[in-house]
Amino acid sequence: MGRRHRYVGILRLAVSRLWGRLRQGDGRQLLVSILGVAIAIMVMVTVGGVALGLTSQSAIQGEDVDYWIVPEDRTASSIAVSVDSAQLGGTHAVSERLNRNPEVAYATPVLLQVLQVNAPTSNTSEYLIVAGVIPGEEDREILGTSTAPLTPGDPHYANGSYDGPWTGEVVASGAAAELLELEEGDAVTFPRQQSNRTLHVENVSAGSYTTGAGPLPVVLMHQSELQTMTDSTNGDPADQILVSTTRAGVKSQLEDLYPRTTVIAKGGVAGQEVSTSSLPVAIAVTALLTAVVVGTLFVATMMGLELHANRRRLAVLTTIGYQTRSRAFLVVAETFILTLCGTVCGILLGIGGIQLTNLLAEQYLGVQSVALFDLRLVLAAGIVATIIAVSASLYPVWLTRRTDVLEVLG
Amino acid sequence: MEEATQMSPSTQTPVVSCADVTRQYTRGSSSRFSRRSHPTVTALDEVSVDIYPGEFVGIAGPSGSGKSTLLHLLAGLDTPTGGDVTLAGTETTGLSEQRRARLRLAHVGIVFQHFYLLPSISARSNVALPLVEEGIGTATRREKAVELLEEVGLADRTEHKPGQLSGGEQQRVAIARALVTDPSVLIADEPTGELDTATGEQIIRMLNRHTDGRAVIVASHDEQVLEQTDRVIRLRDGQVENDG
Repeated sequence: MGRRHRYVGILRLAVSRLWGRLRQGDGRQLLVSILGVAIAIMVMVTVGGVALGLTSQSAIQGEDVDYWIVPEDRTASSIAVSVDSAQLGGTHAVSERLNRNPEVAYATPVLLQVLQVNAPTSNTSEYLIVAGVIPGEEDREILGTSTAPLTPGDPHYANGSYDGPWTGEVVASGAAAELLELEEGDAVTFPRQQSNRTLHVENVSAGSYTTGAGPLPVVLMHQSELQTMTDSTNGDPADQILVSTTRAGVKSQLEDLYPRTTVIAKGGVAGQEVSTSSLPVAIAVTALLTAVVVGTLFVATMMGLELHANRRRLAVLTTIGYQTRSRAFLVVAETFILTLCGTVCGILLGIGGIQLTNLLAEQYLGVQSVALFDLRLVLAAGIVATIIAVSASLYPVWLTRRTDVLEVLG
Repeated sequence: MEEATQMSPSTQTPVVSCADVTRQYTRGSSSRFSRRSHPTVTALDEVSVDIYPGEFVGIAGPSGSGKSTLLHLLAGLDTPTGGDVTLAGTETTGLSEQRRARLRLAHVGIVFQHFYLLPSISARSNVALPLVEEGIGTATRREKAVELLEEVGLADRTEHKPGQLSGGEQQRVAIARALVTDPSVLIADEPTGELDTATGEQIIRMLNRHTDGRAVIVASHDEQVLEQTDRVIRLRDGQVENDG
């Protein structure tokens, strides 16, 4: 009971002392400590937000997809733009086999190409993400774009002969339609592809897939028709296979489908994109370490200076009869309180930093959002603040132990 | 109290005593890498003093005579290099800093010339500081601190910060802080040094009023202060020149 009263009393003493000093305008070093932690946490939150934004750009699957199978040397961050990367082969046969599995609700290969798409009606052309898929009977969203307007299956594939009926159907996402001023029924062409096949807009999808860089301009079409137009029918390639399932046990079966592939489960940012994407992780880790080092150095230095300037206070407490651990507890409590204040300010500044980053990105880069705020950033800030407070306490505690009463008070 | 003051010191146990106490300091660097021998200075040389409960004792002497060193030893802030210091029945020689801190908290109240109050907390919180370390609950701390401040005539200044108080008021807060744990020894080092004559007299009268069952030891250059004590120990060159 006495011990609890003692530590609660010391904690109250720490709070009232800091508050008193700040109110009396005598706490410049304290303010610098708070500012140091605030800057460190702000940088971490802002840069962490950018890392999250980058990570979110890499997610290309539809909301109802539970797994996607990608080649081993590809990651979630690289599959959005496929250029000369390893691909999966024989994908029609595999997806057909998967669709026969009662535990699989839907499976489709996805062939991704960045192609110049021309709209003769508006006489505009833009580079868009063109995704070749095999639509099912039910409406699915891939890259935020509905597959329902496309004829189910892949008629042109015709068991690998590529001579089945040509549908020419494409579904344009809202962002793609806006870029090319497309309407339902408009013709579209791929001017850089040597193909005289015709395509038309079957539907403009109301949905869009929004990433950290804003809504993606996407065009969906049948996989075999995209393979034909891009002259990539050899080996029936695709960049990934999306699998929607209701059973967790399917994952091991998917892993056995192809050698040297990775099966990525749908989940949160931490569980999925971060683990497979090194750049955002590197950015986030760098921000975290920078925050810890900068924050610790700031607080330890400022608390050290503060204690040195106020050695008399510790000496007085010693003469009164305060034990070393009580004085150390007082110093640690003050360090933690300052770090907490800095962390709260830092989180608020970090949210402002994310807003500012997005504002500048929109103004100068034309992308809607580069950085995202997530509550997990607050958790990370809390962890970083704890590390800062613990590390920064060591030096002041050491100084506390070294205070010589007789030297200070004469 | 009456009983204590009327009893002959010889029939009582001293609350604090020094037996052949010597305190030497080494001058210059104390670096462990230095092989040079440094001269030693003897601040106290075989001093023996017994101080009893109820006594109001003055310690006098010119600068460098060893007054402060003797006070530090009596308060348990320092340990002798020779001889023994006994405080409230416990020998402090060889005690760890932790044990001496505990002893100070329980038995010693100290008043400094420069008050040494914490400037950013109220007079009441300053007085309650020793009670925090004792582990006393908030309500009791508040009650005792206010009671002591009333006793030293500062009932209307409990929530004032030290900076808002005069020198005399600050010294009274310091006395209240020293008394709040009801110590057996109250030690004051030049308590009137920063105060005008009238205020200084008030402070000495106040200290004199608190000798009930405890020893009050005042170090001072001021003969007017020393005149009000029961006994004066005069030091010169680290030795007791006169005790009476």
